Amino acid sequence: MKQVSARTLLFFVLAAICVVLLILSSSGHMGAVEGAFSRISRPFLITSSGLGRQIGNVFTTARDLATLRARNQQLQAQADTLTIDNLRLKEVESENERFRTLLRFAQLNPTYDFRGGQVIARVIGKGPSNYLATINIDLGSEHGIQPGMPVVTERGLVGRVHKVGPVSSTVLLITDPSSGVQSLIQRNRLVGVINGRAGAPPVMDYIPQDGEVSVGDLIITSGLGGTFPKNLVVGQVVDVHQRDYEMFQQATIRPTVNFDRLEFVLVITNFKLQPGQPDELEGVG
Amino acid sequence: MSNPTTARTPGPGRRIATDIYLTLVLLAGVLLVQTALLSRVRLLGAAPNLLLVTTVSWSLLRGVTEGLIWGFLGGLGLDLITGMPLGTSSLGLMAICFLAELGTSNVFAGNLMLPVFIVVLATPIYAWIVLFTEQMRGLPVDWLATSLHVIAPEMLLNALAVLLVFPALRGLIRAMGITRVGL
Repeated sequence: MKQVSARTLLFFVLAAICVVLLILSSSGHMGAVEGAFSRISRPFLITSSGLGRQIGNVFTTARDLATLRARNQQLQAQADTLTIDNLRLKEVESENERFRTLLRFAQLNPTYDFRGGQVIARVIGKGPSNYLATINIDLGSEHGIQPGMPVVTERGLVGRVHKVGPVSSTVLLITDPSSGVQSLIQRNRLVGVINGRAGAPPVMDYIPQDGEVSVGDLIITSGLGGTFPKNLVVGQVVDVHQRDYEMFQQATIRPTVNFDRLEFVLVITNFKLQPGQPDELEGVG
Repeated sequence: MSNPTTARTPGPGRRIATDIYLTLVLLAGVLLVQTALLSRVRLLGAAPNLLLVTTVSWSLLRGVTEGLIWGFLGGLGLDLITGMPLGTSSLGLMAICFLAELGTSNVFAGNLMLPVFIVVLATPIYAWIVLFTEQMRGLPVDWLATSLHVIAPEMLLNALAVLLVFPALRGLIRAMGITRVGL
């Protein structure tokens, strides 16, 4: 009887500590402790992450070999198609050059409507939780990183900085259910919101019913709300769900970024519109 | 004149300190494996939760009291690494320790299927506690989708993992000769 009560007491004491920590941590009062831990654990995480990546590569290589033959045939067929497409695109390119001279403002403005420092960050660990899609990067407040900053790779949008320590940060991926990205379909500028889903590819919600969405459509950020810059590639439509009785249609998205093979990312530290940049640029695909 | 045999034997206080040190090193190792390696293993949309599996195994092998401490410290470590608010994982892990009580007084005690059964029970309980804290913080939680697409496969993966982890941990504890803390 005494044993049970002592154990129960221990549980309640530890649970009370957890609740207090939960409240303090959620309100940002544990930043110093979390920062100190991230500073101490950073070298261990970098080392173990590198080791994990190498072990993972061994399994990935073995798995890749099994599918290599089929993939090779597929690629050969794609190469044939692309050769034909390439000839056609050269014609289109010369035509495009002529159009460019007419669209002077597009030539006078940069491709992206944001500017500022982009910092190369190293992914030091993937989030080990099944309920939170995150990665850790080796940049923190000491490098000018702040919560909310967009994170990208050359392939597209990764997510945004969720939590910042002195020398490392946690990035919430766009595949997390709590993530929402204001986006649009590049082809016809239909707007929607990309939401992550648990254990499934993200979806683009709130697409107007009267808009046409096709498999293969490219999705880019709309810049609405100011959370992300405009025109960042997010993914491609792989499936469309349209029901006549619903107010909106929905599209399943395949992100262009391969989250399983992330090693380096860019943190966009500033994406304010450049002075004098015309709003019309928004309309340029 | 002192007896040379007793002079070399460490005192009980020093022994407990050594055991705590060894346990903490083991726990840190589990966290590193979970973070660096298992987070890359995605099968059926989920990764095995080594910390949960070891918490259940530790509770079965060493008693609920030590399981509570293991779960509390391990949960704090996991939260610090994942960026979740401190205490989230600890609450879930400590709650599942009491499931080990099922194994101490029934006919299946000592059977390897017992940890499998408890891990299958513990996985959704832990997950729902974590999801509940997320919802309490105002984050959107899709209970049904998460249960079907994440928790269900994780139950399977954890059940497979405990078949390896439980005997390994039992052997390791015996080899290290860690003494039991009783309350």
